[in-house]
Amino acid sequence: MSSAALATLVATALASAVEFVEAFTIVLAVGVTRGWRSTLLGVAAGVAVLAILVVVFGTAIATFVPIELLRLVIGGLLVVFGLQWLTKAILRAGGAKPLHDEDGIYRSEVALLSSEPPVPASGMDWVSFTVAFKGVLLEGLEVAFIVVTFGASAGMLGTAALGAALAGLVVLVVAALVHRPLSRVPENTLKFVVGLMLVSFGTFWAGEGIGIEWPGEDAALVALLGIYLASSLVAVALVRRAIDARGVRAARRARVNPMS
Amino acid sequence: MNAVRAFGAFLYDFLVGDRPELFVGPIVALAVVALLVAAGVPSLGAGVLLAGLIIATAGFSLGLVLRRP
Repeated sequence: MSSAALATLVATALASAVEFVEAFTIVLAVGVTRGWRSTLLGVAAGVAVLAILVVVFGTAIATFVPIELLRLVIGGLLVVFGLQWLTKAILRAGGAKPLHDEDGIYRSEVALLSSEPPVPASGMDWVSFTVAFKGVLLEGLEVAFIVVTFGASAGMLGTAALGAALAGLVVLVVAALVHRPLSRVPENTLKFVVGLMLVSFGTFWAGEGIGIEWPGEDAALVALLGIYLASSLVAVALVRRAIDARGVRAARRARVNPMS
Repeated sequence: MNAVRAFGAFLYDFLVGDRPELFVGPIVALAVVALLVAAGVPSLGAGVLLAGLIIATAGFSLGLVLRRP
């Protein structure tokens, strides 16, 4: 397997794993609260819609859009999307945003479901089906977006889809073994890494799209990854310092005016 | 029509969300660097500038978030 194919596989697998963990929390809450038959049908319907989206859009984009334009537009979108993931991960790592709490999400999902009408004695439970379907579809859309964009730009739609499928399989196996929310997955670290990869690949492809001939060709990707990693680590340290300074100021204010 | 509007709203939320600077910044960066490349700026300089502008966008956005009460 070439290094570009490996990078595509790893990036899509990591990005997918994060979203699959979030989808699994919702599915587990529905299945445990209201039964598994309709829930699993909802999951299957969600996965089927996502697969159709990937095949239709991925094939259409890769077939009909010229590669230079494709790399410019998709590279730009990957930078935009990657920056959203990366900056959120930086804010979480620096303590400015709370970490994603799968246990908390599970509890609130169970509480919401308990206020729904009771499960019908026979036939389809549309509440379970709809909640599981929406959970899988909404969390999976980001995966579909990454698989299509990454796969189409690298000309490796199959590899990208394989990465997502492998991640789904791993999450499913682990989920079946532990049978509770996957709260120990280092979700923020995964988002940090995926954000870095998306921004690096996005910069590389968008740069090619506007006519940059990267020195060292594919090796420039490693350099971009290094530059973005170093900048992100500095950003985490700066965010942490800003949050600490804010805490010190708040403590000082509280000492000066204890009634405030 | 409602479906189109709903899809548009979903797309806006998906790509822009509550931090429009992360959408506008990279587009402006690409436009500026594309003009410089067309004007004959060497690829190495253009690439470094592109990465620098993207880092600046992220820094600007983080600053905005931290300034919120």
